[in-house]
Amino acid sequence: MATVVKSYEPTFRDKLYIPALFQGLMLTFKHMFKKKVTIQYPDEKHVPPEGYRGLHRLNKYPDGRIRCVACEMCAAACPAHCIHIVPEPSPWEEGKERYPVRFDIDLLRCIFCGFCEMACPEKAIELTEIYDFADYSREGLWIDKAGLLEIYELTKTQNYYTVPNDE
Amino acid sequence: MPLIKIDDREIEVEKGITVLQAATAEGIEIPYYCYHPALSIVGSCRMCLVEIEGMPKLQVSCNTSIGELPPERKKDGKYDMIVRTQTEIVKRERENVLEFLLLNHPLDCPVCDQAGECFLQDYSYKYGRAHSRFLEEKRVRKNEYLGSNVIINHNRCIMCTRCVRFTREISGTNELFVQARGDNSKISIFEDKSLDNLLAGNVIDICPVGALLSTDYIHKNRFWNLEEKKSICTDCSVGCNILVYSQNNRIFRINARENHSVNGYFICDIGRYGFHRYEDAEKVTSPLIRSDGGFKPISWEGALKEIYEQFSRSKDGEKHQIVGIASPFHTNESLFMFGRLMDNIFKDKSIIGKLPFIEDYEIHFDSGFRISKDRSPNRQGLLDFCLNLEDEILQKVKTGKVRLCYALDDGVDRKLDEEWESFFKSQRFLVVQTYAMTPLAKLAHLILPGPSPMEREGTMTNDQGRIQWLKPSVSLTNKTRPDWEIIMEFMNTVGKRELKYSSVNEVNLEMGERFPSYRGMTFFKIGYQGLPKKNIATSRPSEGGQAGNTVT
Repeated sequence: MATVVKSYEPTFRDKLYIPALFQGLMLTFKHMFKKKVTIQYPDEKHVPPEGYRGLHRLNKYPDGRIRCVACEMCAAACPAHCIHIVPEPSPWEEGKERYPVRFDIDLLRCIFCGFCEMACPEKAIELTEIYDFADYSREGLWIDKAGLLEIYELTKTQNYYTVPNDE
Repeated sequence: MPLIKIDDREIEVEKGITVLQAATAEGIEIPYYCYHPALSIVGSCRMCLVEIEGMPKLQVSCNTSIGELPPERKKDGKYDMIVRTQTEIVKRERENVLEFLLLNHPLDCPVCDQAGECFLQDYSYKYGRAHSRFLEEKRVRKNEYLGSNVIINHNRCIMCTRCVRFTREISGTNELFVQARGDNSKISIFEDKSLDNLLAGNVIDICPVGALLSTDYIHKNRFWNLEEKKSICTDCSVGCNILVYSQNNRIFRINARENHSVNGYFICDIGRYGFHRYEDAEKVTSPLIRSDGGFKPISWEGALKEIYEQFSRSKDGEKHQIVGIASPFHTNESLFMFGRLMDNIFKDKSIIGKLPFIEDYEIHFDSGFRISKDRSPNRQGLLDFCLNLEDEILQKVKTGKVRLCYALDDGVDRKLDEEWESFFKSQRFLVVQTYAMTPLAKLAHLILPGPSPMEREGTMTNDQGRIQWLKPSVSLTNKTRPDWEIIMEFMNTVGKRELKYSSVNEVNLEMGERFPSYRGMTFFKIGYQGLPKKNIATSRPSEGGQAGNTVT
């Protein structure tokens, strides 16, 4: 059986509208004295917290050699299939016998889940805090081995966004 | 026949076979490393331990043969042997054996080429313990080259000695041996030898772990990226069964496939590494027509129109105006279509010839494995389908009269001698169906792009008369079309037929209709293992050459 819901009958105070208007404005004015949350983006940058999953990087050993052994565990773990690796026997005599000649990540496909980081047995691939890497072309969002190693250089010692902006 | 019981299954087996063979045939899994059906039994890995009732200790199932007991001594009144593979003690012992095998085995699966198809990985996961109790330093040895194509990684070796037995029993070349004893033992090669025999690549296949590696494939790809296709080898007329592994239309490696009627478990290195020839060749991917000393691309319609124009200039009643050069490298289906084109459409105007067969030395191994001296895969098919094959075409044909010469190219292996080169050079219009810029293709006026041996599909008849299905391992690229389809278009254009075969299977059916020895040899019948050709004398199909009731 259908239930009859009585509609709200506005009182006299409601019909005036003025109290409600001031009630709303109170909230607005209250925020004027609170701490501001807006960031003036290009001039100021948000510093993401520890553990933020942004742009990838490929780590190096202190002697400058790439850590990656091209085992393709990251590519196998990747749910978006965005990692493309071409392995080859390494050129150096000692140490790792395998290394990637090509290591490409399609950032448009990447969902930044961090599975690659977890799958990596060599701690070679990591996600950094960098979030603003938009581009005007699809090709620009295809990052290669040289690019990933460059990201490592940018982020290895300090947080990318705490570096004072030169411009 | 002895009756045995494995776990809870009763199996009647042949006398003399081993427990492992009986269990495997029944689908009961017993893990093993050193046992290989083609090699002698050593029982060195101890992985296949099982519990047998009445025996005080666990037994290696690969080396325990099954016999018959006298009736009064039968177990439980009827069994000759009672085997248990899943009891607690068996599981514990497997775990212990694995722990020993893994003592010095490095944890380098991420860089190991065997990872993904490694029995050590699989069995460790299934039967092993999760953690190592070994605290000491692992033994580390350097990688070594055993031959020009084989590398050994001593650290990964589990001393199953499959490779040693292989070189002793199958290739008969005795290059490998086990050096030293105990935990110092390692697979080694005699000083004056190197593992360069023609079967050397098989040791990589039979190695159950990643110890033996191919220089050709090392660190190229991961196993799980590869797509596996069952095909046959086209490098000699034995027609070994192979597995082709590819990714994104690029072939990475070729392994042997088991077929007891042809190659057993192994293939030779010619077939194993031969696929690089097709990669290195300059590919033809679009019809090309000669212009100003070079070639320029042309559409398929344009190419066929060109052929029709040349053909229409031929006069009736004159012999040998059209020369067809058939090739033993093509499938039965395309040779059947080619024979049909020449016999039924060009009729008396045509003559079919062939280039001299490509022959090399014949190789026999003691184990029975052989490499045929005939290095073309389908000589038998050529003889079966091109019935009017002329052997001395160079003498018979006066080049001045020939309007059209249509040659199926043999491919990258074909080298032309002077006599043939001048024959092809003097042709008025030479059409070559090929996949690469071979010496013959370079002489052509018109090149029709066909599939390479790795792209072909159809049946091949080996030198024993066994019909096997050649499956394409990579797909056709660009404007290339299957061989039979090109010949069908040829027939439709020149002979005004209306043939509309949509797949090679339909051509295969039509072929069976006309040639009784090939009747019913469809893929569904012959499967991946092939079937021997029916022993029916081949005669020329009755309707051939008759106007009116010929092909359509």
